[in-house]
Amino acid sequence: MSQVQAGPPPMVQAIGVSKWFGDLVAVSDVSFSIGAGVTALLGPNGAGKSTLLRMMCGLAKPSNGVVTVLGKNPRADVAVLGRIGMAPQQESLLDYLSGREFVELAAQLHHVDNPVEAARRAIQTVELDLDDPRKLSTYSKGMRQRIKLAQAIVHDPLVIALDEPLTGLDPRQRREMIQLFHRLGSEGKCVIVSSHVLDEVERFGSRVLVIAQGRLAAEGDFREIRNLMDDRPLRISIRTDQPRALAIALLDRGVISGCRLEADNLVVVDTSDPTAFRRAVAPAARDQDASLLELRPLDDDLESVFRYLVMR
Amino acid sequence: MNPHIYRVVIRSQISTGRLLALAGLSGVAILLAFAARAADDPVEVATQSMGTFGTNVFAPFIALALGSAALGDLVEDRTLVYVWLRPVPRHTVATAAFAAVLSVVGPIVVAVMTVAAAITGVEDLLVATAVATALAVFAYSGLFLALGLRFKRSLLIGLGYIAIWELLMSRLGDWFARLSVRSYPMSILSDATGVSMRLADRSTLASYIVPLAVGMAGLLYTSWRLSRTEID
Repeated sequence: MSQVQAGPPPMVQAIGVSKWFGDLVAVSDVSFSIGAGVTALLGPNGAGKSTLLRMMCGLAKPSNGVVTVLGKNPRADVAVLGRIGMAPQQESLLDYLSGREFVELAAQLHHVDNPVEAARRAIQTVELDLDDPRKLSTYSKGMRQRIKLAQAIVHDPLVIALDEPLTGLDPRQRREMIQLFHRLGSEGKCVIVSSHVLDEVERFGSRVLVIAQGRLAAEGDFREIRNLMDDRPLRISIRTDQPRALAIALLDRGVISGCRLEADNLVVVDTSDPTAFRRAVAPAARDQDASLLELRPLDDDLESVFRYLVMR
Repeated sequence: MNPHIYRVVIRSQISTGRLLALAGLSGVAILLAFAARAADDPVEVATQSMGTFGTNVFAPFIALALGSAALGDLVEDRTLVYVWLRPVPRHTVATAAFAAVLSVVGPIVVAVMTVAAAITGVEDLLVATAVATALAVFAYSGLFLALGLRFKRSLLIGLGYIAIWELLMSRLGDWFARLSVRSYPMSILSDATGVSMRLADRSTLASYIVPLAVGMAGLLYTSWRLSRTEID
């Protein structure tokens, strides 16, 4: 009899998870499984990313549904917290400690065998000065982000949840942090990084969970998500000296689904195939002897991208 | 008890404002003691002032200032997460915080009040003041530790509790007095010197048991609350 080979069990799993605060629904019926490697939680501010991360780390209790980490409920099982490292979004730290004391404290509370050595390694990993005697209250935003990461990894956790960890870092630091996330992911750890910056997530080159309005709007490889986003219907304003003729030409080519003349030199068109539209607009203008003065997407901000993904 | 959490709480409690309040109230206790010593009836005046000031003002206000801050400050500045996220049983966190409050408030308040009692020259008051103040500190520390974790404006709520319940409502009748913490340590002072004090009419056993029970109830509530609270 052949044996069915099951894949590795998910390291983090959410099943029908919702979270509400009074009348406000922060997370609504979200389900996903996350394994080893880097996974990005992408979504606009207020989408519910931090609430999801907090539930994964046991800091908040789901109003409905179940979150498990390594098969355990992080709210009920204190021991599983020893396998989780988290860098929360807030900047506040134990400001009366030095960076080294702060990370050593984390190691001590995680019962690490040699907290001093573990803290040294973690601080070096995030490239902070091991001998910096200054209190955390004097740290810059970038230094705070890095020391938060150091305390999250000091006990060599299996699951690492990082809430907007790249905020406040300069480009070089961002690059190095992303490399670190990849390294941790390739070591078999489950690294979950939240971000509201699309380009940032692109550089993670990882699996993406798109969270918008508290719901899981999309999930998959970043390229799939990017394609979804690029192919969504767009409303585009075209400034030209011949708006009527150009709109008719685009309708004839079947690349727009509607149009509206806004002014003598302005037409707004709707397209459900932005790629085809981009290819067709210049030839159509040339055929009509029209000058293209400006092409401007009207709903190309990240919010509208997420809105589209939710309503899709 | 976890020594690392104990140290964190100790350091988070200490602030210039709190130390000044401690020093100011300590000064008042010493002044009152000298005034009692110079009074015509030092036993009566000393018992009244040690009871009124020590267990009604000094112990509750200092326990409030430091007890409510022990975990309350960590909640307020959103740093409790760095303690809560660790594989440490919640009762251990609560016990470490309670121990931190007691180890700052206890020695200072008890020592100052005992020195004040010594200054009055009333020998019967010496041990009784130390015991009564220690019990008041224990009860109020547990109470305000829990309050700090439960409410955001715990200092204000605690001040309201001390002023309205402990100092005013408790005077409305015996049942109200039974529900005020201060009547129990005051009874110890009254028993020691034989000076009759308003509200200080509790049995000897209750005078010892109730403050201990109140402090323990505060600690238990803090543990329970820590295991259920959502951390910001």
